[in-house]
Amino acid sequence: MTATYVYGLVSADTELPADLDGLGPSGRVSTIAHERVAAIVSDVPIDRPLGTRDDLLAHERVLDAIAERAAVLPMRFPAVVEEKGVVQELLAPHQDRFLEALARIEGLVQFTLKGRYEQDPVLREITESDEEIQLLRERVRELPEDASYYDRIRLGELVVDAMTQRREVDGRNVLERLRPLASDVSIRTMAAPDEVVNAAFLVARDRVKQFDDAVEDIGLDFVGRVRFRLVGPLAPYDFTPEG
Amino acid sequence: MTVATQGERGGAVERYTGGGPSGLAEVVELILDKGLVIDVFVRVSLVGIEILTIDARIVVASVDTFLRFAEATNRLDLYAHGGKDLPELAESMMKGGAKGKTSGAIEGAVEKVGEVLTNARRRRDDEDEDEPEEQPVRRRPRPRRREREEE
Repeated sequence: MTATYVYGLVSADTELPADLDGLGPSGRVSTIAHERVAAIVSDVPIDRPLGTRDDLLAHERVLDAIAERAAVLPMRFPAVVEEKGVVQELLAPHQDRFLEALARIEGLVQFTLKGRYEQDPVLREITESDEEIQLLRERVRELPEDASYYDRIRLGELVVDAMTQRREVDGRNVLERLRPLASDVSIRTMAAPDEVVNAAFLVARDRVKQFDDAVEDIGLDFVGRVRFRLVGPLAPYDFTPEG
Repeated sequence: MTVATQGERGGAVERYTGGGPSGLAEVVELILDKGLVIDVFVRVSLVGIEILTIDARIVVASVDTFLRFAEATNRLDLYAHGGKDLPELAESMMKGGAKGKTSGAIEGAVEKVGEVLTNARRRRDDEDEDEPEEQPVRRRPRPRRREREEE
């Protein structure tokens, strides 16, 4: 029994970049093809659990390097199967579905955009425009910590509310400007109140420059208020059907 | 992920390309819980990861969050009053966040591949004897909201 790691799927005529570095002991990455679809595979360390930092990074690195040039469907980390199962259990029974999913992402790459408020300028903006927040802030500052507990909670709640209201406006603005340049958008749940936008965009390869320029313009418009991070091109992690 | 063109275009946006050393937290957010899942792989899916990523993602608007933002607002130097310094504030903000919760636990929760394959095979044998299939991972409802638009 040989365990095989599967990173993702490509069409069988896809040429892999030469310098891929896999997560197995050999480091090699190759493909196993069946008719028109191929699995991107490598060996697996079998003496230890998968899930280390290096394993996760290798999974991402291999997929994104391929995604730079070709359509690739990521498997969910970590996907391991017996070597003979790659064709028998994975490729042969699901070929049609895989080809269909590959066709849907052909010529498209993912970009992920995150925006976060610059804390001080936005807190200042919120405080200065809200009298209740100003009064609470003064009271909290005068009271000893124990005595101000409930006032501090109330102050924080008001600030968080005000921030959430702002980000709804700002976040919508960002998304509306980028949506026309993407063929699909997947919005991720934002965990912290100071997150303005956290979304994945599926962008046509020939519109990447345009998309990038639009993000740059947005960055300039929000400079000093929002910090943006743009990651890509990536494999279409957020646009891959689960089953 | 590697920093690609940061600064090249005026620095309004930090840019990273895929494939390269980056923060673990970012890669976890990017890849975990995403991608194709096929029946054959469900049996070898490794226990624990999904639950951990969900825990890492949720930072509920709780009392703790309110107190952190109250503190940040309090320390804000509105009219040049002075106050405590920012590095201290940044540190307390970090402590409250989800950072660092994932790495060790992921490693701890995962079974060895060899064992998993053996178990999967054993499970398959069991199925042949008409025993009820054991659910390898109980899925929790996923809190991620998705909104899609076809052009």
